[in-house]
Amino acid sequence: MNTFGFLLGLTTLIIIGLGFVWVIRGERYFGLLWWPYIMGLGLLLIVGSLFLQNDWASALLGATGASLVWGSTEFKEQSIRAELGWFPFNRKKVQPPFADIIKKWKAPHL
Amino acid sequence: MEINFVGITAALAAFLGIWLGHVSVRVIERNAKILWPPILIAIILGMAFEAFSLATSNRLLSAATGILGITILWDALEFIRQENRVKKGHAPANPSNPRHARILAEHPYATTLDLLNRDPIGQQVSTEDAVQLITDY
Repeated sequence: MNTFGFLLGLTTLIIIGLGFVWVIRGERYFGLLWWPYIMGLGLLLIVGSLFLQNDWASALLGATGASLVWGSTEFKEQSIRAELGWFPFNRKKVQPPFADIIKKWKAPHL
Repeated sequence: MEINFVGITAALAAFLGIWLGHVSVRVIERNAKILWPPILIAIILGMAFEAFSLATSNRLLSAATGILGITILWDALEFIRQENRVKKGHAPANPSNPRHARILAEHPYATTLDLLNRDPIGQQVSTEDAVQLITDY
């Protein structure tokens, strides 16, 4: 019996579960304009996973990268939920570098 | 140096599993007259993926099916969570679905409006403004 995939599935569940937390908190304190940086970091982690020889390290880095890429597409809806009062709204968000340029881009949503 | 494809396999499985689950749960919950059949199918399908993951010696297949199986099992729970979102008005109810029609009659916050179907404006909105924003979008 090969438990690698099963255990990886359980670990990925925790990674995805933590995604709920950092998307909600991240949007609250930093705002949706950070999405390109989160997506970029996620993609870097996935590329980085190609160069790790250890299967667990590669898999965890890849799953974490995927969670970051997915989470970056969830920022837009989360910001609307906060505007609606479904989650606490924070006026004083920490703006990212090049916020004025990122504002002109359409935030991704899947 | 050898390229290790386990990570990118895990990444693709996780991303596709989350994305397909996200879309399927919303569409199925919106249209299903009763919820227990899709929940049961998700549980059986998820467990089948996990069983395959345990049985295969191929580490890439094991990783992919292990992750996909878990996301499908989570989707079984998400059907119930999605129905609760509809009851709270956090997801639009489908008036042509008798189950959702009952929800609309019994839950005062349930709505057919998709209050998330717009771009963010950067400030808090009242319920009236929220409706106006999606109407204008």
